[in-house]
Formats: sequence, C-alpha cells, structure tokens
Amino acid sequence: MKRLVESSGVEVAFREVDVVTTGTFGAMCSSGAVINLGHADPPIKIEKAWINDVPICHPGAAVDLYIGATAMSERQPFEYGGGHVIEDLVSGKEVELRATAYGTDCYPRTQIRTHLTKDDLNQFYLLNFRNCYQRYACAVNSRDETVYTYMGKLLPRLKNATYSGAGELNPLMNDPDYETIGIGTRIFLGGTQGYVIGEGTQHDPQNRLGTIMVRGDAKKMNPEFLRGASFTRYGTTLYVGIGIPIPILNLGLAKKTAIRDEEIFTNVVDYGVPRRNRPVLGRVSYKELKSGSITVGDKRIRVSSLSSLKTARKIAATLKRWIEEGEFYLTAPVERLPLDTVFKPMRQTEEVSFVANVMQKAITCKENETLQAVAERIVTRSVNHIVMVDDNGKLTGIVTSWDITRALAHGKTALADVVTRRVITAKPDEPLETASKRMAQHNISALPVIDNERKVLGIVTAEDVSKLLGR
Amino acid sequence: MARILLRFSESIVEEPIIAQIILELKVPINIITAHVNSKGGEVIAEVPNEALDKVVKAFRQRGALVSIPKLIEVDSEKCISCGACVTLCPVEAIKIDEDKTVVFDKEKCIGSICSTCVDACPTRAIKSVKQNNAEATTNSKQ
Ligand code: SF4
Ligand code: SF4
Repeated sequence: MKRLVESSGVEVAFREVDVVTTGTFGAMCSSGAVINLGHADPPIKIEKAWINDVPICHPGAAVDLYIGATAMSERQPFEYGGGHVIEDLVSGKEVELRATAYGTDCYPRTQIRTHLTKDDLNQFYLLNFRNCYQRYACAVNSRDETVYTYMGKLLPRLKNATYSGAGELNPLMNDPDYETIGIGTRIFLGGTQGYVIGEGTQHDPQNRLGTIMVRGDAKKMNPEFLRGASFTRYGTTLYVGIGIPIPILNLGLAKKTAIRDEEIFTNVVDYGVPRRNRPVLGRVSYKELKSGSITVGDKRIRVSSLSSLKTARKIAATLKRWIEEGEFYLTAPVERLPLDTVFKPMRQTEEVSFVANVMQKAITCKENETLQAVAERIVTRSVNHIVMVDDNGKLTGIVTSWDITRALAHGKTALADVVTRRVITAKPDEPLETASKRMAQHNISALPVIDNERKVLGIVTAEDVSKLLGR
Repeated sequence: MARILLRFSESIVEEPIIAQIILELKVPINIITAHVNSKGGEVIAEVPNEALDKVVKAFRQRGALVSIPKLIEVDSEKCISCGACVTLCPVEAIKIDEDKTVVFDKEKCIGSICSTCVDACPTRAIKSVKQNNAEATTNSKQ
C-alpha cells in the first residue's frame, strides 16, 4: 500500500487495494488470561492460588482465576512469571496448580494441589486490558550507572537507546481516527483470531497514544506469537502478537494507511530520571529509530528495538494470507474506539518529597586548600562533608570527616590524597526515596546535589532524609 | 581455534611474553582485544585447538594467568529477533540483517568476560557455554 500510494497515487491505491494488514509483536505488560478450572470434589472456593509458584489473582467466584503477565514466581522472581505460565499452557505443557481457601459449608476444602494442561481447563481466554500502544517513547539514560527498566537495559551516559513499536506497521497508526477499529473488530491475536473488546486502559487518542483491549481463545494460540519474557530487575511480561486488518473504505483510509516511518515521531526520553514527566531530550522518527542510530544534540546514539519487527511482518503477512484464503472475515465494529478519552495522572492525596525539598547549602572547598583548612571548616561549620568545587562551582570531589581522621591516622597531609573523586550524586528533582536508596546502596551518608552541568546546588544528608521519611 | 584470556600482572607486563611464545612454539597467536597499561594487562587471544594445551602451559610458566572464557551462544528457537541486545554490544558483534533477523557474529564476540547482552535478553535466549575443547585446561590450576 505504502509503495503503491507513493508510485501511483491515492486514487489508484484506493481502487486496487481492499485491505491493508498490520502487525506488532512487543512486550505488553497489561496482558493476562482468564481460566476456569472446573470444580474439585469436595469443592473449593479458592482464596489464594499459584501456578508453577506464580501467584494468580482470584478475582471472582470459586474456580475462576486471572493469570497476570507481570506476576512473578516466588522461587524465581524476575525470571519466570505469569507471561511464562501463559506461554507454557499455550504450548501444551503441564503446570502445577496450588490453592488454599478458608472453607465454607458449601465449599469445605481448604487446600488443593493438582497438575493441569490447557485441555483440562474449561475456558482459557487471553484477556488483555491494554495492548498495541500506537507508539512508544525512545529511552536513554543520563545517569552514571546502568539502569534496568521496562524499556530494557540502558547503559550510562546515553551510551545506547531503546524503542518499541512497529512504526508504520502498527495497527492503530494505520487507522488513527479509528474508522474501522472498535468493539467487535476481528483481529489476529497470538496466532489465532481474536477480537477488540473496546478502548484499552490509558487510551489517549488525542496524543496519538491509543490502545485497545482484546480477547481471544488462548487454547488455539501459538507460542510463536505469545512469549513469556523477563526484563532484568524490572520483572516479567508477555510478548503478544497482534494484527489488525484495515479495510480501505474510502480515499481517506487509503491515504492514512500509506503512512511511513518518517512521518511517525516520538520523543527521546531520559529514563535516568525516575519521575512521571521524564525530561525529553529530543524528537526522532521511526525511520531513524529503525536505521540503528539516532542523533540527540550532537551525540550519535546506537538504538535498537525491544519489539520484534521480524515477527510483526510475519503477523501482517499471515493475516493477509488468511484473508486471501477465505479463513478470516473482516467485521465492522459495533462501536468505534473513542476519540475523546483523556488520560489523567493519578490524584495523590499525600505529598511526596523531592531532593530539592530537603537539600541544604553545601560547605565547599577548593582544590588548592590545605587539609588543615578543610578540617577546621568541618569543625566550625559542624558538618561531616565538604564538597570540592572548581572555579565555576562544578563538582570535583568530596571530603568527609572520616576521610580526614583516617588521613591523620596514616600520616597523610595533602588534601589531594584524601579527597574522593568519584562522587555519587543526586539531582534536585529526584524523589527523596531514590536518593536515600542510593546512599544505602553505596553505604554513604550524603550526596552532593548537582545540575546537568555538574554545578553544585547543595547537599542532601542521610540524617535529613531520615528526619523527613521517619526511618 | 580456541579463545583464551590472559592476565599479566604489573611485574611482567613489560615483557614481550606473547612474542616469545609465538617464536618458541611456532604457533600463530591471534590477538582479539588487548587492554594493557603499566599496571598490568588483559588480552584475549585465539590459538589453534591442537596447540591450546602447550600454549596455556607456556603462558603459565611465564607467570601469566590464563583462563578459558566461555562462549556466548544464542538459542535460535528462543530468540524472537527483538533487538534488545544489539546496541549493548561493545564490539558490534550483534547485527540485524535484511529480513530483520538478529544475528550473532561468534568470531567477534569476546565471550563471557563481557556478557553485557546476556541479562538484557527478554527471552533469555543468550547463554554462556564452555568452549568444547576447553575441558582439559579449565580444570587445571590457574
Ligand atoms: S557477550 Fe559482549 S561481545 Fe559478546 S555478543 Fe554479548 S555484548 Fe557482544
Ligand atoms: S535480546 Fe534475545 S531475543 Fe532479542 S534479539 Fe537478542 S538474543 Fe534475540
């Protein structure tokens, strides 16, 4: 379609093409499956349940369970989770169910342990409340340490970037006004036919961040298009394959489905900053993202995807074949996805503290001062930390009272031998909680607070933090 | 060819040990990466399988620490070609080919001493495995 519109124009493409197929295969955390186990004898009204040691939600009646993709195994957290349980069941593997209950007159049993395959389940439906985000941010990390996020492993100091989403192949991007997508739209889901059952949670159409809620019979799915996955230090999830056919009903849709990667833009976002509104460092197109490197400021950064373009293409091709062979019939939605939903942030009734709220003025010294002078400052200002700065006020080191005591014990007299050069720091807009964690992790009692140019803004100490957080 | 990891301490780093061994044993030793300064060095080299034992012995006699790094392998059944590993590789051993399949260049990969990509793989398709000819030498004293 895209090439046809380019070469022959929209009119020709509209006449020639009936349907455009799309596809995406990425990690979708808001995925899960509803299962019904059937009744045991004597019967049990399950209160808590585990499958292969993964805690399973029990949202309703006696033997209905919901396997959430992000629930993690108690024995192998971060490595095996709900997503893997779903994949194992789909693959036909046997899983172990354990459950406990409080026991009632009608459901007397308090424990059960059994082994099941998907054939033993009455229903096994994939039921995902948010899938198929139209596009994602591109993630980088400005911190001095590697961070592990839901956008993958991000190396320090913008050394790599990751993104997700299929770009021009993304289903919602090809029908951005949802003319053909809504409740009842039949789709490719996990290797079989499923349905859109409405807008997904966090649906945000006005910012071109639409999502869908989907359902499909997991018993018929294929593990090639449904994979459990682990993101180190983040958790487990499920890769879900979704493809949507877009019927070319009018000229407008012919034009919209011709969308190219170079027309789809997303922000480069600093995941080193643990806030809801993370700093945006730049803007890039999916074309740049797919090329393997992006430019932010004057820096070239290698970028790679977290979702599989290869599988996304395969999904679009499979859907095309199904339609051509008459195995798949398109449906008109009963109700289109809404275009006016607004995605609000959480209302917070308790205040959160940030580093800027508690930081104090830093007592500083210069490189060329004597150890004696610095020691005196520690006493007269009654602090434990002296921050070393250059003439521009930029951080160059830190000296603690403990460093000085130790220097004296070892007979050292030069400031240069005492100062610590590799300083662990904090940013003013960082939540106090993460700064506090960093101090504990490095076993230190204060962090100089710096801006992006490493200029010292103040200092935050463990003492101040514990006063405020009360621990 | 087998890969070996050589560590030279400060006291011997100045000596031309690798050159001496090449000359003495008449074995080609191919240097893959080298990080050397006055405080010591770390070198990854490739040696022919059949000469592995005597090369390792010769390095150890001269005071170098020798270990056999594990190789990094990708289980193609598990790999979904997402690409999460690609940009993490310091030597660009992981590439995306025309049809968007992710391919590993085993020759370029520096092995288990790097392992940067391993914990980034969402399907845990990347594993480190012993070099098949390393059994005899890994068990000996280092
Ligand atoms: S182990 Fe290191 S060198 Fe080898 S492929 Fe992975 S990142 Fe590249
Ligand atoms: S991260 Fe794992 S699954 Fe993804 S391309 Fe690399 S090896 Fe394959």
